[in-house]
Amino acid sequence: MSALAGTLMNSPADLVTRVCQGDADAFRLIFERYSRPVISFIFDMVNDRALAEELTQETFVRAFRAIHTMRAGTKLSTWLFGIARNVARESLRARVRANSHVDLAHKSVMDLSDNKPEPVDGLLSKELNDVIRRSLAALDEDKRLVFTLKVLHQCSYEEIAMITGFSLAKLKTDLHRARAEMRKRISAYAGVGYEV
Amino acid sequence: MKCEDFSKLLEDYLDGEVETAEQELFARYDRELEVPPFLWTRVAAHTVAENDSPKVKGWAAIITRPLASVVAALLLAIAVGIVYLVSRQPEPNKAVADSEKPAPRQPKNKEPEKPEFVAAQPKPKPRVKRATNHVAPDQSDVWSSDLAYLDIDEQETARHIEQTQNLLRSIRNVPTTDSDEEIDVTYDKQLSRRLLNENVVLRRDAEMKAKFPTKTLLTDLEPFLIDIANLPDHARPEDVRAIKERVQKTEIVAALLDYQDRGTLNR
Repeated sequence: MSALAGTLMNSPADLVTRVCQGDADAFRLIFERYSRPVISFIFDMVNDRALAEELTQETFVRAFRAIHTMRAGTKLSTWLFGIARNVARESLRARVRANSHVDLAHKSVMDLSDNKPEPVDGLLSKELNDVIRRSLAALDEDKRLVFTLKVLHQCSYEEIAMITGFSLAKLKTDLHRARAEMRKRISAYAGVGYEV
Repeated sequence: MKCEDFSKLLEDYLDGEVETAEQELFARYDRELEVPPFLWTRVAAHTVAENDSPKVKGWAAIITRPLASVVAALLLAIAVGIVYLVSRQPEPNKAVADSEKPAPRQPKNKEPEKPEFVAAQPKPKPRVKRATNHVAPDQSDVWSSDLAYLDIDEQETARHIEQTQNLLRSIRNVPTTDSDEEIDVTYDKQLSRRLLNENVVLRRDAEMKAKFPTKTLLTDLEPFLIDIANLPDHARPEDVRAIKERVQKTEIVAALLDYQDRGTLNR
């Protein structure tokens, strides 16, 4: 009974209510529960570790300030992903404006490789991670967003629609195309040589 | 089984579209990313630490936000009311000024008949009242009259319309008799000439800037100004009466008032 009460006390809806009432511990619990998926999602979007940390911080600060505006019935994770998506998007827009040129010392140039898998097993997973990361980064923003949420974060279509504001038709189309592009890029690692 | 059920199954099938091998690859995807411990410290510094008395602030935020918006709306309404009242105040003064004007326009060599003059004084008021209900010149061809009316607070046009309105009122209030005695309209004539020149310039300006209601009104004014400007210094009563009757018949003064009222409301 007490375990059930504890679970109910820490349900997302309850945590939100408690934060609205000024309970700092409740917000810390929200942070601990959702910071990892949020930072992963932002990292998938921006492909930059330091920036992902900074944007995660911004996401939670915005969430705290706007939590009293959260509609009843909205899933907390969906709401947080929505904020994270906006924060990441703003950052991407700013970066596009700022990065009008790339020099040889730039990280994106230093990270370039010939895409050949390294033979050593221990390095294979690292190589694969890099390939997935680069492949994700190569997708256009909408496709990357939908693919990340659906495949890497296992969100439902309804949740993705709420987070992104896209119509169901658009997000399904984007997802299909994103999958096709990703499949092309990682096919060597999957050992599947089919055409898309 | 219903279509919705099939649709759900189809979605599930498509969701499983990613090959098992691919799924494994994505499942193995490790971002090598940890939430750094300092992140919470930073977040807390901008959130919970900012609130010295979080409970009070939490409730205060819930209560004061709608309250603040209600207070803001009230203040705005009061400010609009004050502005409206202040802008409406000069009206009675104008009426007084108008009623004082007809004095110099008495028939030549004739003492003003006091009872008649006194009787003429209260006339403008009912006319003013009627004027507000009057429909302005036809503006059915105007796309958005409201936009054009916003420019009424251009001082020059507003002043011009006010002066023209005074002139037309004074002409309308000239007492005309059946006698042949001429009426001294020297002052009105000179004023009308000046206003006519001004009217032409403002009308063209309004036309250029696509202020169609202003342009229409100024166009309607021009014939009156021309007629008054072409009167001899000592006009015949029938000439003055003709203009006076046209002013009354066309209710141009009412149209001017209506225009001014709209301008005041839009200000």
